[in-house]
Amino acid sequence: MNKKIKNVVLDHSDAIVKMWLEEFDSNKENDYTATISDEMFESTNREFVNVIFSSIENQGLSTDLDDFSERLINLGWPLSYLTDGMQVFRRVITDYILKQSDKVDTDYFSEILREVDGWVDPIINRLINEYSGSWEHIVSLQRVALQELSAPLIPVMENITIMPLIGTIDTERAKLIMENLLDGVIKHNAEVVLIDITGVPVVDTMVAHHIIQAAEAVRLIGSRCILVGIRPEIAQTIVNLGIDLGKFPTKSSLRKGFETALELTNRRIEETQNNDEDIEKLIDSLDGE
Amino acid sequence: MRIPILKLHNYLLISIQIDLDDQTAIQFQEDLLSKIHENGASGVVIDLTSVDIIDSFIAKVLGDVVTMSDLMGAKVVLTGIQPAVAMTLIDLGIHMQDVPTALDLEQGLIKLRQELEE
Repeated sequence: MNKKIKNVVLDHSDAIVKMWLEEFDSNKENDYTATISDEMFESTNREFVNVIFSSIENQGLSTDLDDFSERLINLGWPLSYLTDGMQVFRRVITDYILKQSDKVDTDYFSEILREVDGWVDPIINRLINEYSGSWEHIVSLQRVALQELSAPLIPVMENITIMPLIGTIDTERAKLIMENLLDGVIKHNAEVVLIDITGVPVVDTMVAHHIIQAAEAVRLIGSRCILVGIRPEIAQTIVNLGIDLGKFPTKSSLRKGFETALELTNRRIEETQNNDEDIEKLIDSLDGE
Repeated sequence: MRIPILKLHNYLLISIQIDLDDQTAIQFQEDLLSKIHENGASGVVIDLTSVDIIDSFIAKVLGDVVTMSDLMGAKVVLTGIQPAVAMTLIDLGIHMQDVPTALDLEQGLIKLRQELEE
């Protein structure tokens, strides 16, 4: 019986493919096809339906399906294209089989449905697994990249290090920041650490709490912390939220913070050449002529 | 187990190299205070480089020692607190607000001198 249904489908595969293509083409108004050329769309559709048939024929899943889905993932086709395609296929094939049969009763109908589901569902599952697998892979790669970028520490001068922070800070990242900060302070023997929050878009109570904790931990290991890069809007939020940052020095820009850091380590910037004097000398020499 | 306290001019140097238990900590507190009394030391450096664990009680004792020594006229600096220890203390909510700290023994001594001159 099952064999019979399958044979019906395989024998009339051409007709089914035609119906499927027509039906699926009418779906073409969907967003994802907007950027894809007609020929490309058609050739992919043909390939798709061939893959479906070959996997039904081979009693399950062929390597064609894997290759096909892998290529679509690489080309950036959306998953909805495949799921839409499979749904249309299910509809078309059920209609077709019902039309081909003479007698239709409830038992027969449910058997057809079960049979068709048995073909279609494994393919959908396989496709979704492939897609979600590739997504998870991307996410894990990005997580690693983000971790590498999340807490850099730059020793700019003897005893002075800078930690520029860019992007949102969450609890996990705050932890990483603190670890890197403390280890870096010990490693570089830094007396002063500048934490630059110019690139942190929002400073809420949570972020401020993490920064304060990091600063206190830095103080405990015997170094000093200066918070720099406080933009006007951040100063406003900090005060409006009632956060007390008075325990350690804060500066508006990295430049000012750096000057303070130099002061704390008993140093200062001195210009080797005074431009004003040079200009005066130049004017004097012109007058002399 | 008692922790040795070394005298250097008018400073006292202490390097803690064992994991402190409650009894040792209390003993150390008494020893240090009587030593300050004996020598009239004006500065104390407590080095914690080899200490891997500080619990809330030890932290409290250390904080107390600093305040007590201050009362007796000796400035105390804690040096060499390990990153892991600092993180644990902050997580426990112990901020040791009034305790001066320094990276290592050398900078601890410099800090002491600065504070004593002021």
